[in-house]
Amino acid sequence: MGAGADPLSHPARLRAANLTRTLVCLALLSLAVAVLALVFGRAGERIAVQMCVNVAAVVALGVFCGNTGIVSFGHGAFMAVGAYLSGILTMPAALQASSLPDLPAFLAGHELSFWMALPVVALTGLGFAALSGSAIARLAGASAAIASLGLLIITHGVGIAAREITRGSQTFFGVPRIVDLWVAFGAALVFILIARAYRESAQGLFARAVRDDADAAAALGINPARTRFVSWCLSGMLCTVAGALYGHMLGAFSPASFYLSLVFAHVAMMIVGGMASVGGAVAGVIGVTLLQDSVRQLEGGATVLGVTLPEVFGLTTVALGLAILLVIWLRPSGLVGAFELGPGAGARIFERITRRTHPAPAPARVPPATLRAEGLSRSFAGVKAVAGVSFEAPTGRVTGLIGPNGAGKSTLVNLMTRQYAADGGRTLIGDIDLSALSREEIVRHGVSRSFQNLRLFRGLTVYENVLVAALAAGHRRGQAAAIALRELQAFDLGGLAATRADALPYGARKRLEIARALAQDPAILLLDEPAAGMNPAETDDLADRLIAVCEARGIGILLIDHDLRFVNRLSDWTVVMNRGEVIAQGKPEDVRADPAVIEAYIGRGRTAAIAAKTEDVAKPIQQGATP
Amino acid sequence: MDLILQQTINAISLGGVYAMLALGLAIVFSIVGLINFAHGDIMTFGGYGIFLSLAFGFPPVAALTIGIGAAVVMALALERTAFRAMRGADVVILLITSFAVSEILKVLFQNGISARPVPISLPASWSGTYQIGGATIGVVPTVSILVAFGSLAGLTWVLRRTATGMAMRAAAQDLEMLRLLGVRANRVVAVAFALSGLLAGIAAVIWTAQRGSVDPMMGFFPVLKAFIATVLGGLGSLGGAVLAGFVIGALEVMTQAFLPDSLSPYRDAIVLGLVIAALLWRPDGLLPAANANRS
Repeated sequence: MGAGADPLSHPARLRAANLTRTLVCLALLSLAVAVLALVFGRAGERIAVQMCVNVAAVVALGVFCGNTGIVSFGHGAFMAVGAYLSGILTMPAALQASSLPDLPAFLAGHELSFWMALPVVALTGLGFAALSGSAIARLAGASAAIASLGLLIITHGVGIAAREITRGSQTFFGVPRIVDLWVAFGAALVFILIARAYRESAQGLFARAVRDDADAAAALGINPARTRFVSWCLSGMLCTVAGALYGHMLGAFSPASFYLSLVFAHVAMMIVGGMASVGGAVAGVIGVTLLQDSVRQLEGGATVLGVTLPEVFGLTTVALGLAILLVIWLRPSGLVGAFELGPGAGARIFERITRRTHPAPAPARVPPATLRAEGLSRSFAGVKAVAGVSFEAPTGRVTGLIGPNGAGKSTLVNLMTRQYAADGGRTLIGDIDLSALSREEIVRHGVSRSFQNLRLFRGLTVYENVLVAALAAGHRRGQAAAIALRELQAFDLGGLAATRADALPYGARKRLEIARALAQDPAILLLDEPAAGMNPAETDDLADRLIAVCEARGIGILLIDHDLRFVNRLSDWTVVMNRGEVIAQGKPEDVRADPAVIEAYIGRGRTAAIAAKTEDVAKPIQQGATP
Repeated sequence: MDLILQQTINAISLGGVYAMLALGLAIVFSIVGLINFAHGDIMTFGGYGIFLSLAFGFPPVAALTIGIGAAVVMALALERTAFRAMRGADVVILLITSFAVSEILKVLFQNGISARPVPISLPASWSGTYQIGGATIGVVPTVSILVAFGSLAGLTWVLRRTATGMAMRAAAQDLEMLRLLGVRANRVVAVAFALSGLLAGIAAVIWTAQRGSVDPMMGFFPVLKAFIATVLGGLGSLGGAVLAGFVIGALEVMTQAFLPDSLSPYRDAIVLGLVIAALLWRPDGLLPAANANRS
């Protein structure tokens, strides 16, 4: 971050940085291809073609893996579909009649050019991806990875079984070898452009937000399964096209060509370079290709420095495996790291860009509405965490929700935002029943929340964290940027716009969560312990900012905190919970004097002595540990 | 009727192998978050242990015991050399680590022993049959069912009734906390790997007894099914892994027995397709693992 960087220029600088990063990827590949083709002659050119096709395949793989954080082993399946389909559509009709006599009629005798076949191949890939993605995208993490392995095995099995189309496990030959250096290089460049554009698009940001924290993304209205589905479909379609290129490069192949060894090589390239970025995919392919081709020289036995090495079958596999292990041990996020290759928006070279985006004006005062809990209940294994809780949180008011540890406050918020399903009761805003909606739909009815344990999108910058919320609320890019700047200003985060969220100091992280929730223009904001862990100065500052936001926008806040001083300063109405039930509610000064409240906090016996001086109640509770 | 009885025996015997492998995967996953791709190679190593000890003239029973021991040793060796350094890393990183380890081990098997299947000849009397009410039942499938159920019952007892088992279940909840309580976490993890190796070794014995040979990919294919079983059962759920292992075994035998010949090459694809369809219906698996994430 440059000293004195103007936060209002950040969107323009980010655009410039994103463009630069795309150019860095393109330049890196161009350099590698130029060196191979110009220095090493014919052999180098052959390696360069292979490298470019691998770049296309790995970049396509990374569209899913990089944006969702899920390793896919299923991409060999798409490559196989692409290679066989494109091969069948383009092969000479006479050759086809003799080598594939039982081919179904609708596939036979087309003899298209590669470019004519390409749209068919791409659309078929998209259809196949939509079909398989409807199952796989519903899974997350390791389950999805294994299901994608299942897809690979299924496709491999079908490829061997469907003899009339694929010649079974025999070699499938006669595919026109039209992929020369220019085709391969051009394809790799186009793939990089598409992958970079997707990564920085709204959908790409949503997918990366889900990757970093699915619950927080869902609370912003992003459907986690849908982001995985979209990424899977685009990635599958690109992989199918890459498979066609691979097929037209080889000319002859069999189902085994697209099975585990190819998948292993591609996953290795992606991991070695860095799964999270397009630059990582490109760097990984280049690095691993060079490693593979050097080791391949030794595989058939060679003499190095006078020592004769024995012939070792599978030496390239061992080298790849060791490369993966070394990279994972030394640099777990790959050679490029967790961020995109190239300078970020805070880099010094972008300081001269001064085009400013004006922050959006404060939104119009929200129309009056009331968030109502009606008899909400939830038990965990017999423990009644929340039992028949009813209260109201209207707009234009800060409603404080206090109670000792384990009173059920956070559970209550989780019930109201559908993070958990309630056993009984319901939550209403106006006359809309939120209990009947999914957790992604809550925010569309004007209810946003922050989380007790920080849930930021670690792999995004401060600016992107807020931007993604504004985009999820349905704003277009320009408007979303203006809203993001407004919220960053309101919470004094403008100077940190280009900083990665996980590099922020604690207090700033807390503020960022609130800014992110406010970027969705909520009518009611649920804040779950926003001041926990802050020092008194930070707490006061936060209170000032919340009061300003509340007054300017007329929103309602449901404020949960242990810090009674903080809650009392802000709230106009206080609800007190203990053991899952509301034990008192009313104006803060009345509640403070309520003997039941004091008893809940301090215990019986000392009640009378303390009742007179309630301010002291705050101190011991403030220091209580957060569950 | 006879056919049904025979196929049931076959289904349970195959399901038992998948269940043992899936349980071994699930034990390790629930404690250290590792989906062990190299589990198949542990099983293969057990198979080679049997082959080598027979080749050195050990009697069959001793050879089988050595094979099981070899699998345990391999599991412990992998834990110590490759996975301990990665403890606490992301699930994806661990998955890829084991993927790389697995590929390296396969190349070592190919170069060190043979890329082709090597025969394992057990006494002919072991592969006999017996009759129940007109049905011919193989000895090996019967014994393998008994062994599988015995192993599963024994493991359940270990997990539920012994201090080590209790520590392992606690470790599945929170390894760091267990360490703070003064339990030696490394030992608990090592025991988990040893148990998964033990189950893989027993699976190797049953598998080689039924097929009569070992090759570098021997463990790979059954473990693929076991992977699918762990996901179908609910990743991290031990009961789910066992249940789904039997489900997949039953599906496989049923499709083999009742599918028309023209469709039989598609058998694996159909079984896996059914499993993925089941995940559409229950994305968290048949018996989901308890999840204690707080927001």
